[in-house]
Amino acid sequence: MLQQLANGVFSGSIYALFAIGFTLVFGILRHLNLAHAAIFTTGAFLGIEIATRTGIPFWALLPVVAGIGAVAGVVLERIAFRPLAGRDDEHFAGLISSVAFGGVLIALIQARYGTEPKSFPYEYFPNRLFEVAGLRVTLTQLVTLGLALALMLGLAWLVSATPLGRAMRAVAENPTAARVVGVNVDRVTAGTYALSSGLGTVAGALLALNIGQTDRGLGASIELIGFAVIILGGLGSLWGAMAAGIVLGLAEALTIHYFDSTWKGLVPFALLFAVLILRPRGLFGHIKVREV
Amino acid sequence: MSEPILSVESLSVSYGRVEAVRDVSFSVPEGGMVALVGANGAGKSSVLAAVSGLMRPGKGTVRLDGRDITRWPAHRRVGAGLVLVPEGRQILGTLTVAENLALGAHRRRAQAVPAGELYELFPVLAERRDLPAGALSGGEQQMLAIARAMISRPRVVLMDEPSMGLAPKMVDEVFGVIDKIRASDVTVVLVEQNARRALRTADTGHVLETGAIAHSGPASELLKDPKVVQAYLGVE
Ligand SMILES: Nc1ncnc2c1ncn2[C@@H]1O[C@H](COP(=O)(O)OP(=O)(O)O)[C@@H](O)[C@H]1O
Ligand SMILES: [Mg+2]
Repeated sequence: MLQQLANGVFSGSIYALFAIGFTLVFGILRHLNLAHAAIFTTGAFLGIEIATRTGIPFWALLPVVAGIGAVAGVVLERIAFRPLAGRDDEHFAGLISSVAFGGVLIALIQARYGTEPKSFPYEYFPNRLFEVAGLRVTLTQLVTLGLALALMLGLAWLVSATPLGRAMRAVAENPTAARVVGVNVDRVTAGTYALSSGLGTVAGALLALNIGQTDRGLGASIELIGFAVIILGGLGSLWGAMAAGIVLGLAEALTIHYFDSTWKGLVPFALLFAVLILRPRGLFGHIKVREV
Repeated sequence: MSEPILSVESLSVSYGRVEAVRDVSFSVPEGGMVALVGANGAGKSSVLAAVSGLMRPGKGTVRLDGRDITRWPAHRRVGAGLVLVPEGRQILGTLTVAENLALGAHRRRAQAVPAGELYELFPVLAERRDLPAGALSGGEQQMLAIARAMISRPRVVLMDEPSMGLAPKMVDEVFGVIDKIRASDVTVVLVEQNARRALRTADTGHVLETGAIAHSGPASELLKDPKVVQAYLGVE
């Protein structure tokens, strides 16, 4: 039972890491970026390819993956969102064009890596097992949880306490007012996508590291629960995404414990609907990115 | 006379097919003050939007120190010292007063007025610096909008109806601040519904009528021009 809860926290931290990147873009720019899952998958493949080819250690791998992810995010915004700015159907059109961008990414992944799963090199990451108070946790899980928490807290700090974060909150509240005070809105928009996609690729690489491998369906497998996390936490709320990620991870783990894994897909969504009936704006719906 | 610090040549601004500003030209010498007056919808805010870079004009040229800045993005103009105090204040209500001021300063960090000095000029803001700006009263928000522009030590300030919607006492305070800004040799373009008061403060006035300049001249003469008085100033 406790073991299941611990596992729930670990997977929940990955859900949360997936979700904060998505919710950040929504909170600042009101964009629903449906290419986020494909960005996540890209991160997993990039991590494996770079680890395999170069053998660089894990601590150096993640910044490289994040950097490539950030560039991909900037390109994504330029191609799928910026050309639509100012259109009446800007938001709906962006939704569709981001789906298309995600489709292109997945097709490129398939062209480059084929359809077979890819694995990290044997023993790329030390396969160590700890026993703490009767719980068995792997080093990978601990590192994942620690990194996920650090990245999420780091993002919350960036948004609330740095000049870039201040500019992001200004754009979130009122883009015209932000321009009046001299904020370069295009640059802040690009920066928001860079952060979001950088976090998304790192989340993908971390999940692949935990599973040991990836295939092109990795993002699709986490996408639904990731969106459930975002809705549960309140769209645009960073703290909400973090808390809801852990909550849904736990809910999933408890489902497996009390029922069996065939129910694992159902209970988190049942929980989502139950919460939304009671609190239509999500657990933290009143706390938006700009108020972090 | 030396070259004007700001000049607007044959400016036209459109919203779709509606031409809101037609062939407007004026200039301001360094340290001078121009008042743009006219009825609601005459195109005053649209002129300021094109000068500040919030809108691309359909035609015409905007020059700062003789340099063509017509295609510059808004943030670059702020960096060059051309700032707008926009209509309706446009303060960022979810950010604190201090954050609003920090945003105002961030493009011109080297020139910026130290926050402490600014708070001496605007004591109400000092008391409220850590509150969300949305919690301020309308008059305080207007003061913040002006302070947010002045903290960057601008060379040219464009003000769009800074007294709009304020109680008479606050209006006096706002014009008091405008007098101080003038005294500090900052160039001012003032758009006001309170045309008489604006013309009393300015050197030069331009009256806009449905997008075009209908009367121009020294402010003191416009104040006496019977056509202007009848149409825009009314009997006192
Ligand atoms: N966003 C807009 N879209 C369409 N028309 C506009 C917009 N803003 C202003 N206008 C039109 O442009 C004209 C000038 O408006 P404006 O510049 O705001 O005048 P003023 O500031 O003198 O009241 C008006 O006819 C107004 O209806
Ligand atoms: Mg106006």
